[in-house]
Amino acid sequence: MTATVQVGEAEIAAFRTLHARVGDAVETALRGKRPVIDLVLVSLFAGGHVLLEDVPGTGKTTLARAVAGALGGMSRRVQFTPDLLPSDVTGTSVYDPQTGQIRFRPGPVFANVVLADEINRAAAKTQSALLEVMEERTVTVDGVAHAVPDPFLVVATQNPIDLDGTYRLPEAQLDRFMLRTAIGYPESDHELAVLRPGSGAGAVGSVPTVTSPAEVADCSRRLALLHVADPILRYITDLGAATRADDRLRLGASTRGLRALVRCVQVHAAAHGRHFAVPTDVQRLLVPVLAHRLVLTREAQLAGASTEDVLADVLDRVEVPRPTAR
Amino acid sequence: MKRFGWSAVLLAVAAVPLAQGWSGAVAYPVFAAAIVVAHALVAAAGSRFGGGTVLSVLLPVGLFGGYFAARGAIPGGPLEVLRDSVPRLLTAARPAPPSVDLLMPGAVLVFCVAVLAAVSLRGARLLGPPLAAVALYAAGALLTGGQADPYGLVAVGVVAVALAGWVRVAEAPLILGAVVALVAVVLPGANAFEPRELVRPPVADVQVANPLPRLAAWAAAPETELFRLRGPQLPVRLAVLADYTGASWRASALYGPLGAVDAPDLPPGQRVEEASVEFVVGALDGTWLPGVGRTVSTSIGDALVDADSGALVLPRGLAPGLRYTVRGVVDQPTDEALAAAGVPGGPAVRRYLALPNLPTELAEYARRGVESARTPYEQAVALEQVVRLDRVPDAEAPTGSSYARISQFLFGAPGSTGAGKGTAEQFATAYAVLARAVGLPTRVVVGFPPVPEGPDGYRVVRGIDATAWPEVYFDGWGWIPFDPVSGTDSGPSAAAKREVLDRLASITASPTTPPTDAPPLVQPPAPVVEPPVAAEPSRWPVVLAVVPVLPVVLLLALRGIRRSRLRRAGAAGAWRHVLDLLVVSGRAPAPRLAAPEVASSLPAPAPRLADLADRAAFSPEGDVAGAEPWLLARQVRRAVSRGVPWYRRVWWPIDPRPLRRR
Repeated sequence: MTATVQVGEAEIAAFRTLHARVGDAVETALRGKRPVIDLVLVSLFAGGHVLLEDVPGTGKTTLARAVAGALGGMSRRVQFTPDLLPSDVTGTSVYDPQTGQIRFRPGPVFANVVLADEINRAAAKTQSALLEVMEERTVTVDGVAHAVPDPFLVVATQNPIDLDGTYRLPEAQLDRFMLRTAIGYPESDHELAVLRPGSGAGAVGSVPTVTSPAEVADCSRRLALLHVADPILRYITDLGAATRADDRLRLGASTRGLRALVRCVQVHAAAHGRHFAVPTDVQRLLVPVLAHRLVLTREAQLAGASTEDVLADVLDRVEVPRPTAR
Repeated sequence: MKRFGWSAVLLAVAAVPLAQGWSGAVAYPVFAAAIVVAHALVAAAGSRFGGGTVLSVLLPVGLFGGYFAARGAIPGGPLEVLRDSVPRLLTAARPAPPSVDLLMPGAVLVFCVAVLAAVSLRGARLLGPPLAAVALYAAGALLTGGQADPYGLVAVGVVAVALAGWVRVAEAPLILGAVVALVAVVLPGANAFEPRELVRPPVADVQVANPLPRLAAWAAAPETELFRLRGPQLPVRLAVLADYTGASWRASALYGPLGAVDAPDLPPGQRVEEASVEFVVGALDGTWLPGVGRTVSTSIGDALVDADSGALVLPRGLAPGLRYTVRGVVDQPTDEALAAAGVPGGPAVRRYLALPNLPTELAEYARRGVESARTPYEQAVALEQVVRLDRVPDAEAPTGSSYARISQFLFGAPGSTGAGKGTAEQFATAYAVLARAVGLPTRVVVGFPPVPEGPDGYRVVRGIDATAWPEVYFDGWGWIPFDPVSGTDSGPSAAAKREVLDRLASITASPTTPPTDAPPLVQPPAPVVEPPVAAEPSRWPVVLAVVPVLPVVLLLALRGIRRSRLRRAGAAGAWRHVLDLLVVSGRAPAPRLAAPEVASSLPAPAPRLADLADRAAFSPEGDVAGAEPWLLARQVRRAVSRGVPWYRRVWWPIDPRPLRRR
């Protein structure tokens, strides 16, 4: 009994409807990718940012824009290029000849949903500028802090690192993304539907707006109070400890990573109509939330291991909390 | 209130074997009252006082009550009284006389256990009364050597009452059942724990004179009134001589206060009669106190008793006019039973077979005397005849009971001193030596045969009545007297003996003539013939049958406890129950699988059950599902068992694997 104020079942039912509504709206643009959409929505309601990593042309941008469309509110898009400057992202102070004053002109990050396209094509300096906003939720220009709107969701897309012309995101900055997921190619049926002439797939403009930023922000605040029982928290810490003890990893899960996992677990539970978390929530979210935060040793990399494999092993090793008499 | 009633009834049933440790029916109401009073006091205390307070008041009250009840009968302060009461009980006769001092420890135990049980009722578990019942039952089994409940009926009753009061929670009756079953099986065993072995009966080394030589003196003053008695027509026993050195007979030298000595070394017969006789001492002197049968109680406080024979000794000596009563137990065997009875062997009776340096001629004479007898009883009757024939009682005959005197008595040349002539001493001791030579456990008793009742209601015993007779121990029937002097005043009826003698005579003539020929060249048989060892019913089959059953019972009980624990745990427990089921059916899920994943591979209601279990375990409200989870669990169980053959399923309830899981 950690939280004194708890989220009631009625509230959860309302959220579930909202979640389904947003999901359905996004799905009109991105068919057959409901699990990915759900993950992005988890991040949205958990107040974190999403990193979509996949090859070009799988619908990353479509997904991000569809989410923005369904959410209503303001959405902006930043196409990262090697010559993009930090001020192009955050905004800059300009001299207003009419008033004769220095005025702050907000950059594209001042939006509810920011689509940071191909973030790993920008230089490290520009990446850092974005990542700072993601963490602090304010932009400081000329000593003045400017708050970004709430909710603030950055959906960054990145091409796989081994493609040409990319800059690898530093680990510390990767840690700021709440979760990372791939989209993957659509299944053949869905792909057929997408290819059929006259299909609405990919038409982001037709995504209905089903909610408002204020409603999402409110839900997000309420869901932070959702009950997570001690055995679940212990399970999460056990999993974190297991990643730190794994000798294939140079860097295990950070406490920030585990906190993010708890937040995501709360939203995931609510999205499934529960006002409490269960071990399955943890298991579903472990890889998306933690995989990008772990760093393999060089030997493990050479052996062809991936952080996803390591996490799968960790899940196998750590005993799940079974329902038991309290 | 209902709980108190149930607890009281449970304890009352469990105290039945304990109450059988005292003779008569006094112990039953006393224990029942102790139980009722204890429960009433605890109930009256209500919830105003804590359990510790109630205990710290009532337990000392019980102990002091015991002290005040018994303080007159046991010397010393409260501590000594309480401390000595249990050894006194353990060294008392079995069953113990229901006197206040002997009944006190039982009543205090019952009261204290009942108080503990009643106080434990304040908890939710209801474990106290069944455990207290087990304690009382075990105490009863220990006190009575497991004889009080030979068929386990009381144990069944205790379990039944426990179950009746507590059908919903299966835990305690299961533990109780296992424990009572263990107690019932183990305690009556051949080598069962016997608390009496822990206490030494208080015995004193008393210098007693051998009364055998006195026979001649009494015979010399035939009209002197030794004592008179009022009571049934029974032989009066003065002394019992069990040890023979080859030269003389000796009485036991160890005596203890009546009621505080060990049980006799050979158990009394199955068919006994109790008799109470009032004695008034006349000219009889010495320290031997006349009594009847094996003494149970006497009105003389400082009389000492020989535990094995029941013979009484008054260390301060007898005085004319001494008046007292003796209650004794007399063996009353039937002729048919005796005819078939065997005699015991082994170390227990070695004392009654001892014949140090037995002369060959006596051994040979005894062997030939009984060679046509088939049973120990026939041997005993034949020897009676062998000793009696051709020999005459003579008060003037030389005294003595050495081998030499017996040889002279039996084989002496006619006309020589003491040949064929003797007092009862020679008849009895000669019989005893011959009987021991053929393996009959024998002792010699000095006493007085039954005398007719006078007009004033008293039977007057005079010097001429003094006599001695041998007694032979038969398995299950106790010490049976024989009369080699006249052949009449003995245990078996005259008709039965005549029948035996007729049969023996039809086979061969009794060797009533002494062997005057040289001893045969062949070596005579061993002087002491090992008596045939009666086949004692072996407990091994029972033990062998019980040993494999015990682990099964234990596993059943442990699984039952686990099940009832799970049952109390609601939905989570129901899910664990399903997991146990998977374990015993060899489908144990991997530890990483959460409940819904496990359930997805199970029959229909399992996912719903997993959902309820998760909700019970991880939701802030806890378990609110009520009875549904267990209904689902039973459905899952049925579905899972359906595909498993019965010969696999029978092992499920005792499979220990679920016990390893948390």
